[in-house]
Amino acid sequence: MLSAEKKKELEEAIYAFVGKPIGPPFTGRDVVNEPMIRQWCDAMGETSPNYLDAVAAEKSPHGGIVAPPMMLQAWVMQGWEMHEGYDEPKNEEHRLHKLLTDAGYEGVLGTDTEQSFSRYLRLGDAVTADTVIEHISEEKATGAGVGYFITTRATFTDQNGAELGWMTFRVLKFIPNQPQQAASDDDGAAQPAKPARIKPPMGHDNSWWWQACTDGKIQIQRCGGCEKLRHPPRPMCGACGSMEWDAVESSGRGTLHTYTVIHYPQFPGYEFPIIAALVDLEEGVRMMSSISGCDYEKVEIGMPLQGVIHEDEDGFALPIFRPREDSQ
Amino acid sequence: MAKPIAKLRYDDLSEGDEAPALSHELTRSGLVAYAGASGDMNPMHHDEVQAKAAGLPSVFGHGMLSMGILGRALTDWAGVGNLTEYRARFTKQTWPGETLSTRIVVTGKSQTEEGKRVSVDVTLCNQDGEVKLAGTATVAVA
Repeated sequence: MLSAEKKKELEEAIYAFVGKPIGPPFTGRDVVNEPMIRQWCDAMGETSPNYLDAVAAEKSPHGGIVAPPMMLQAWVMQGWEMHEGYDEPKNEEHRLHKLLTDAGYEGVLGTDTEQSFSRYLRLGDAVTADTVIEHISEEKATGAGVGYFITTRATFTDQNGAELGWMTFRVLKFIPNQPQQAASDDDGAAQPAKPARIKPPMGHDNSWWWQACTDGKIQIQRCGGCEKLRHPPRPMCGACGSMEWDAVESSGRGTLHTYTVIHYPQFPGYEFPIIAALVDLEEGVRMMSSISGCDYEKVEIGMPLQGVIHEDEDGFALPIFRPREDSQ
Repeated sequence: MAKPIAKLRYDDLSEGDEAPALSHELTRSGLVAYAGASGDMNPMHHDEVQAKAAGLPSVFGHGMLSMGILGRALTDWAGVGNLTEYRARFTKQTWPGETLSTRIVVTGKSQTEEGKRVSVDVTLCNQDGEVKLAGTATVAVA
């Protein structure tokens, strides 16, 4: 991870790219032409005579062959030079990516795109793209890892400067969750550690409570002055101000106060969906936890719950709640 | 340029209508053909050795290839020249060996200054129903 200072430096550097064109407007090396359209159609399984059959296309409302709209970007792709990767930045977007790569944000994933088409391209059109780095998000935690979403916007014009359409493209530039390793079928390469639950911060005031979980108990803190129960653990009683305390063991019996179901984003180390729950324990305190052993569609506010200690594969223990059938 | 003739009629369409589905089998050869045709020569899409060295199980499909497959289903349905807007999220990577199917569902109709428009939800799924691409599009109708 980066130090706070390094991160500030990195963010200052990357946010300076927002609003910048990636370079001068780029005109495609070839005008719209039949062979490139045919190759694209072959790859896509596209058979429309509007793209492929000059005779038929002449009789169509277009008066001749048009290019598939989804080829818009293809006319201005750099093509061959892309296979060299981004080690030698050739434009501002590459420079931006390289800054992030060098800071550990090595992964890159396309996340979404948006396109608008003003007119369809005809043979002989020369396409120019003017591409701007439109937006960089704050750092986000995602299923793939933490990173920045970078949006670029390309505006496409023809040989007369008339707009043909535009396209935004967003990528996530991220620190991969697990160190990437060569996929291997049979050479017995070590498996990366299985992702585990993110651990709560533990300190002087609350680590005893987590230790009790490991011992199989759900504890509730009790004031040494006025005997009021409180949760989560903290040093001072909110009712009488006493700093004396001990703890009692909860029966785990409670009812559901409220809940939410988390489907996304799916962090590694958890099973989804997560039913995140606030549970009113019968002793009178409210506890943040989760519900398992119940379809989320069957969860209802007020339902009876029973807390149990759950142990993760890595030995970390915490209370979870299940539906309580009995009504004793 | 002559105005494209809308293939679909506004009055014939209602919410929930579906366009004919297309399916497309993803192969390594297909990825190579697409890399060349689209000019997207990122090696993660055609160089198996480099893709594995980067920790991937194999090469994977271009996001814009998924867009193209759905785009083809859209223009087949609405007629060439009638796709006006199209946006989508790449929800999952696509892999050689998968068969991808399109789904296009009408969600609304409107009369705009430019003419009659129909909006649709679009998805691309593999043979197990895993969603690879999800988004919306607008097409011109008569």
